[in-house]
Amino acid sequence: MTATGMRIIAGKEFSDHLRSRRFHLLFAILAVVAAVGMITGAVQYSKDLSDYNAVQMIAEGEDDPTFAGNLAGLKPSILSAYSQMGMLMAGIGVVLGIAMGFDLVTREKESKSLKSLLAYPVFRDEVINGKALGGVGAIALAMGVVLIVSVAIMALFGIVPNVDELLRILVFGVASFLLVFTFFALALLMSTVSKDSGSALLYSLIVMIVLSSFIPIFAYTPVYSAVFGDAPTPPGMSTYSYQQSSSAYTVTSVAVAYKSDDAVDPEALAEYERASREYMNQKRTITDIVTLVSPTGNYQTILGVASQPAGDNVSGFGNLLGALACNLIALLAMPAAFFGLAWVRFMREDIR
Amino acid sequence: MILCDHLTKIYNGVPAVDDLCLEIPTGEVFGLLGPNGAGKSTTILMLVGLIQPTSGACSIDGIEVAAHPIEVKKKIGYMPEDVGFYPDRTAEENLDYAARFYGLSEAERKQRVGDLLDLVGLDGVGTKVGGYSKGMRQRLGLARALVNDPEVVILDEPTANLDPRGVLDYRRIVRELADRGTTVLVSSHILSEVSKVCTSVGILARGKLIASGDREMLARAAVQDRVTIDVETGTPMPRLTSPEILSAEFSQDACSARIVAKSDISAYIAETLYAGGVLPRRLAVEKPDMEDILLSYYTEGTA
Repeated sequence: MTATGMRIIAGKEFSDHLRSRRFHLLFAILAVVAAVGMITGAVQYSKDLSDYNAVQMIAEGEDDPTFAGNLAGLKPSILSAYSQMGMLMAGIGVVLGIAMGFDLVTREKESKSLKSLLAYPVFRDEVINGKALGGVGAIALAMGVVLIVSVAIMALFGIVPNVDELLRILVFGVASFLLVFTFFALALLMSTVSKDSGSALLYSLIVMIVLSSFIPIFAYTPVYSAVFGDAPTPPGMSTYSYQQSSSAYTVTSVAVAYKSDDAVDPEALAEYERASREYMNQKRTITDIVTLVSPTGNYQTILGVASQPAGDNVSGFGNLLGALACNLIALLAMPAAFFGLAWVRFMREDIR
Repeated sequence: MILCDHLTKIYNGVPAVDDLCLEIPTGEVFGLLGPNGAGKSTTILMLVGLIQPTSGACSIDGIEVAAHPIEVKKKIGYMPEDVGFYPDRTAEENLDYAARFYGLSEAERKQRVGDLLDLVGLDGVGTKVGGYSKGMRQRLGLARALVNDPEVVILDEPTANLDPRGVLDYRRIVRELADRGTTVLVSSHILSEVSKVCTSVGILARGKLIASGDREMLARAAVQDRVTIDVETGTPMPRLTSPEILSAEFSQDACSARIVAKSDISAYIAETLYAGGVLPRRLAVEKPDMEDILLSYYTEGTA
């Protein structure tokens, strides 16, 4: 493999993305969402900080140290704004990734330029690698601009993040990039297996729905209970719950517990504790697996942990990366798998 | 310059190209003729390194295509049958993109692209290729095939969408290439096109090369097969007897006949009529034209 052909193709693809109206539109939406999210977050942060400072002053005047500690709470962090922005990014970023990748190969097939392209002195792997690289460059540019916009808005509001916050913002940026890249790689794969762009888009959307909505459904308690069984019932108690919702009224939840007058058998209680522990472990394992398989689940997990201020949950950047290692690896592995499949498929593409 | 050595390509158990042996010398303009599905495009795809042969080998200028595809691709210019471009780019941008793969500098690319657009009559056309007619795309395809100043040019159905002016330009360009010593392989099922520019031809049917040689040789070979002679006279003509005659059909009044002979026996017929005191009104020899020759080869090859 030579780098020249790949560089030429990557340059053309990068330029195509930047010239594409589709990219302009989605990038504009992304930038507006980022800006609006950051402005809202910055305003909320300023208010929270003001409230926090007021409470701090009250706490300083309090003699009872326990009461003072309860009042003090946690200092607000600008990262909460990134958390809000990330939720919006999860939706638009996925669409951006699919929109950038679904017709990369099918467009060449449809315009009949693939045969000519492969007749140039270029290896096949350079073609698919160049296409992926051009897309990655455009995604990195979009994500970089979004991050810069968010930091600039913070600066406009006079908010200066500390080093820990900056590193967490970086984690957020990397995770956002990987999320978009995952769906870009998925769309690229669908583009190599499909004959036309319409089918590639359809297949991409179907897999996206499966990964983002269908698989995570198994982590929801009602579905989990239906598939894997209910949680163990405490000895001597029976619980019935009833829940209903409609467009007119939201939720009615009734839980009725019947308590037996008989003394609880210690062995039954121990058995209940063991069964409960087992049930919870199983549920956690399944929830973790479901999260790891779902790119949006991973992204939201990373977002949740990274956007919590240091000292609340995971302190120190090293510890943060350690806590998110599985999710980051999963978020990296999925696009790598999609791209690997796209690569193999493209190398075997039948040219006639 | 172009060599196919027992070249075979099998798709799902069906041979698209079957044990093809072919040699095209340097500077030759070779026409690869054959009906649709004969294996012309498959042969070309193997020659340009887009597909691998099932068995056998092909080489360009002594370099085996399957083993060294990049070196071969640098030497050839290829125009596919279904020529395609990036529709959201201009002709200049499309050609410049193609030229980048051959390591030309920016100045060289600009010069070359300008010259080629001028050559194919597309200079000054600023619209994007998406708005081009099929003929304009075909012209641009020819320009792209020449972007690297190749030693071998391979054109698959080059005149399929060209208007008469475009066809004339195409012939002129191919002749200029031949004059410069470039080897040209033209694939087509339109014989008249091949016969206008090619110095030699090969006929493919069902993936097999059923005939090859220079155009005249093929014609002679076919002419030797049979000649049809139409005879019309004012009075009934006498019976014609010659070992050369394969069949003879006479009208009821014996004033017209259609003779199929192994060779041109028009002189013998004229002499026989003259000797019998019959005045010939018409004596026409129908030699098979090139289309008939080609059809006879196709029929032979697919029988």
